[in-house]
Amino acid sequence: MDGSVLPALSVTLRVALAATVLCGLPGVALGYLLARRSFPGKIAVETLSALPLVLPPTAVGFLLLRLFSLDGPLGAAGLSFDVLLTWKGAVLASAAMAFPLVARTARVAFEGVEPRLETMARSLGFSRTRVLVAVTLPLARRGLLAAVALGFGRALGEFGATAIVAGSIAGETQTLSLLIYEELNLGHDAAALRLVGLTAVLAFGVLFAVERLLRAKGVAR
Amino acid sequence: MSAVAIRLELALGAFELECALELDSKSVGIFGPSGAGKTSLLEAVAGWRRPRAGRVAVGGRVLFDSAAGVDLPPGARGVGYVPQEGLLFPHWDVRRNVRAGRGRGGGEELFERALDVLELRPLLARGVATLSGGERQRVALARALCSAPELLLFDEPLGGLDLPLRRRILPYLVRVREAFDVPLLFVSHDPTEVQAVCDHVVVLAQGRVTAEGAPLAVLGGPGVGGTDFENVLRGEVATSGEATAELCVPPGLRVQVPLRGLREGDTALFGLRADDILISVAPEPPRGLSARNVLPARVVRLDARGADVVLCAVPLSAAGPGPELLVGLTPGAVRELELAPGRAVHLVFKTQSCHLLTVV
Repeated sequence: MDGSVLPALSVTLRVALAATVLCGLPGVALGYLLARRSFPGKIAVETLSALPLVLPPTAVGFLLLRLFSLDGPLGAAGLSFDVLLTWKGAVLASAAMAFPLVARTARVAFEGVEPRLETMARSLGFSRTRVLVAVTLPLARRGLLAAVALGFGRALGEFGATAIVAGSIAGETQTLSLLIYEELNLGHDAAALRLVGLTAVLAFGVLFAVERLLRAKGVAR
Repeated sequence: MSAVAIRLELALGAFELECALELDSKSVGIFGPSGAGKTSLLEAVAGWRRPRAGRVAVGGRVLFDSAAGVDLPPGARGVGYVPQEGLLFPHWDVRRNVRAGRGRGGGEELFERALDVLELRPLLARGVATLSGGERQRVALARALCSAPELLLFDEPLGGLDLPLRRRILPYLVRVREAFDVPLLFVSHDPTEVQAVCDHVVVLAQGRVTAEGAPLAVLGGPGVGGTDFENVLRGEVATSGEATAELCVPPGLRVQVPLRGLREGDTALFGLRADDILISVAPEPPRGLSARNVLPARVVRLDARGADVVLCAVPLSAAGPGPELLVGLTPGAVRELELAPGRAVHLVFKTQSCHLLTVV
């Protein structure tokens, strides 16, 4: 096996994991808000949060680049966090791309919880927090795990935004998808194909887990 | 002051629910066709649905008053609600579901008592997905009782449950009524059940109260039940023989009933269909019949019910008149026997026509 595969695999997994952690909680929180609360501008928030799903990843990457570059709005305020051309940038780009998927799947998971069960819990004297922790979250658990797994899956394959924000630095920001592109450019078709196989196996594993989570029925729904 | 005072105006899909109820009885049955607004009434009392206007007070405590701007949240109402679908928490076992009721301050003693009365101890470790419909209702009822409610609301499921299955909750409702000092508002679709459990009935149709009063008077009255009305006899088992027992119905009626495992001293409820009672107008008690119950009685009134006639009679004993019984007759029989209010008759029915509803 080519010497750059293992570092790329390691970078891919670490970046995807970190990106999942970064977007998981806000994604689930937004999913809850969209499923259970009504507030002014809800449709706008919904649309805005879904934007990375349809925007070209390169566009998202470019926006992040401008946002965090030293003369960008955050960079100028001293909030660049050293993300450009570092592993942090790869994490940020992947998280931005995975976030809408997490939020939308989490929303569906929360919507699947019978609201009357929550009313019953309130009726029995549970506080709002206790209803969320003891009733809503456990009942939405599988859907939420699926949401996070989908986010992880999306982050695994991220290319466009990552390439722009973090570049393709071997062992630092070069993920499998970036490596495939590089091998192709170098004319190493056989190596690229092997990498494609590897990513396919990873993606299959993640999606299979998601399907299992979403299909399970019964008590632990 | 009434134990429960409800005055509500509530917009429902096709019509408006408007009712005013002052209830002093311990248990009140709400009866009526589906879509009459029964469930909405319970939900408004529980605080799950906001009425447009009105006032709800339980034991002098105001839960809702649109004029005074009072609208207590469901958790502060002190109302134990058992909805049709039970709404058990599917991720918890029976024990945890029942204990969830304690969130509002019900103590350990209440928890234990609810388990005993509803016979839930063998089910405690079961997941609720594995329970039968009747078991789920018992768990939901126990959970509601555990919350130390000042008013219990029970909405009986209608869809899909056949009569015998539905009647399985009946003994428990009767026991809850005996064991807990909580007023009960009970939505039912079964007149027999209402008679067995309630001492007051409200009939709701199209969002309006159309009749109200004692169960027999209301449910036996025109325009409510069908002709397959069932009388409910409540009494204590006096003696038990080989296959029959004698039920002593206050003040002094003695009725032969099937044994069905009854023991002396048991308090039991029996159902007796109006169509299963014969009338004899002979001055002497008829003899030579296989039917074991022949009770002297006096006709109270006759009501036309479609093509049939429902006769209301009060059986007599040395100790005084017993509970009224309804008898289904054809108009021809009424004419031929010259039945009229005040007439002395004998009521005749078989031991086997009495079927055990529950032992209290």
